[in-house]
Amino acid sequence: MPDFDISPILESWQFLATGIGVTILLSILSMAASVLLGTILGIARVYGSRPLQLVITFYVDTMRSIPVLVVIVWIYFAVPILTGINFPPFWSALIAITIHITASVVEIVRAGVESIREGQCRAGLALGMSWPQVILNIVLPQAAIRMLPAIGSVLSVTIKDTAIASVIAVPEFMKRAETVASQSYQPMEVFTFAIFVYFLLLFPTTRTVDFIYRRIAHLGRS
Amino acid sequence: MTEPSPLRRGATQRPLLEYKHVCKTFGAFTALDDISLTIYPGEVVCFIGPSGSGKSTLLRGTNGLDPFDGGEVFFDGQILPRKQSEVRKIRQRMGMVFQNFELFPHKTALQNVAIGPITVLNKDRAEAEQQAMALLAKVGLADKADNYPVNLSGGQQQRVAIARALAMQPEVLLFDEPTSALDPETIGEVLSVMKALADEGRTMVIVTHEMSFARRVADWVIVFERGKVLEEGPPEQIFETPTVERTKEFLSHLGWA
Amino acid sequence: MTLDWSIVWLNKEALAEGALMTIVLTVLTMGLAVPLGIVLAFMRLSKWRSLALLSQCFVELFRNIPLILIVYWSFYVIPILIPVQFSAFTTGLVALVLCVSAYNAETFRAGINSVRHGQTNAGLALGMSQFQVMKEIILPQAARRVLPILATTWVSLFKDTSLVSVIAVGELSHVALQIRSQSFRVLEMLTAMAVIYWMMGYPQAKLSDWVRKKFEVKE
Repeated sequence: MPDFDISPILESWQFLATGIGVTILLSILSMAASVLLGTILGIARVYGSRPLQLVITFYVDTMRSIPVLVVIVWIYFAVPILTGINFPPFWSALIAITIHITASVVEIVRAGVESIREGQCRAGLALGMSWPQVILNIVLPQAAIRMLPAIGSVLSVTIKDTAIASVIAVPEFMKRAETVASQSYQPMEVFTFAIFVYFLLLFPTTRTVDFIYRRIAHLGRS
Repeated sequence: MTEPSPLRRGATQRPLLEYKHVCKTFGAFTALDDISLTIYPGEVVCFIGPSGSGKSTLLRGTNGLDPFDGGEVFFDGQILPRKQSEVRKIRQRMGMVFQNFELFPHKTALQNVAIGPITVLNKDRAEAEQQAMALLAKVGLADKADNYPVNLSGGQQQRVAIARALAMQPEVLLFDEPTSALDPETIGEVLSVMKALADEGRTMVIVTHEMSFARRVADWVIVFERGKVLEEGPPEQIFETPTVERTKEFLSHLGWA
Repeated sequence: MTLDWSIVWLNKEALAEGALMTIVLTVLTMGLAVPLGIVLAFMRLSKWRSLALLSQCFVELFRNIPLILIVYWSFYVIPILIPVQFSAFTTGLVALVLCVSAYNAETFRAGINSVRHGQTNAGLALGMSQFQVMKEIILPQAARRVLPILATTWVSLFKDTSLVSVIAVGELSHVALQIRSQSFRVLEMLTAMAVIYWMMGYPQAKLSDWVRKKFEVKE
């Protein structure tokens, strides 16, 4: 068993720590944007006009068919050629990951909303509510709770997708770890350390979502 | 242990089932508190009592599905083993019918009835299916042999479940609230099948809330409350002249006495 | 901006090979990850705590780190630990199998656990052994529940094969990106790459939808 020398990690700890910061920032921003966009598009998918539904379905199915790597690379390299706009790596990654993850959120919102029984809507309408009121007060709150576990796993996927952004040199943690590993010629220690870091980021995330869900699940059961 | 009443059916033979000081707890809750009972061959015994009184728990421990914490069960003079591989052989001699039918949804009615003999008794498939067909006819469902459970009503499913238990040619039939999950219209068809089995002289232990059925069909009735036996005796005694005050109260709440 | 789409046609053999490699990776990975997933699931459900714990740790580990990191780790670290030189292809395959079998383990475990306990009781009451109950009653019912999820995992795997391109395995992404850097036809190649993935992935996604509908279990 070869020696384990963690000195390169200690020497570059700030470099690596800022990488973790970028990972977290990129994850949170992508997630927030995806949830916002995904909810709007998801509601449109369920309640919108038929042509709108078809367009959104096509978008969702396309994102299901194309790897996020391809989207990231396309946004970063191809969009500047098409439009002349140059996105810095971080923003390219943010846009690409958001586009990819939004599609998942749309499907989750659709499933959540459709799982609310018609009787619930009719009860709201019978009270004299308008459709927007029914959606806002009755459907969405219950759907939101039901969607929580799935959203939790989407968050997990988002964090993992930020590591893929390393291929366009976004200064997130994966890229930083890669840099330190190659410069120090000690890939074993550095990548093993990277495994610890990502595990510590991801494991509590899904567990926390599970925990919250278990506490409030009864509020979404009708 | 009380002396067997000379009126008790089958009392001249060796008991088929004996419970000796049986206990079971779920955490702080005592489900069974020192239960000692005897069941004779050919008897139809009904366990009645309020929910949570321990009757289903006693039944499920009889074939080792939910083993007891204390005491012993004797089947045909032999103590019920603890090891799964050994208790399995005893289970082959007992038949159980569940409240939720528990038919296997991925098999047809015929396959459900035949699966016991085929997998457990290693019977030849053609022979097992032939006998299964006869059993389905016996419970009045020969025309539903190729239906899947999802296409059968509750009463039909339960009748198939009874046929499935009969296919193993058991020495005793255990019924765990067989009609509690049924619509009122279908309860009758299941009870008729059970009455027919009783008339054949089979040994049956039935946990039930169907008091008129117990009154008509049982040879012996045991009343449970809070893990203990409140009273036991022939149906005439229990339903018409109960000796214990609590039995009277329980039955009057249900419209009896 | 002048576009020259002929570059795609000129390299059609290379792209086709890349696409084939993507498919080969997907099929091989699934072929290994399904049995491995079943083994892990049974380990988790077994009576022996040490086996269950081992399986749980494996699954939690590989479900909670990015695949791209597993790919890098496998490529750089395995040669240090084991004195054998694996090809990039094998390394990539190993990384994919480790990751997917962890997901499959959870899928199979959930599938088995989702079959009602009463079914086990009914089988045992007939005198069946635990093994017979599992074989005749639980597994056939679990299979129904597991298939739609496996279909989804398959589609994800198909996309994830793109990540082994970072260690120069010749699947579609790597081939397309290579041609891009050699020809400088960036927009054309990247778009072609996306379109080829789309053409392969779209039917698979629709197929997995069909599988989900067909095997939908309504309790």
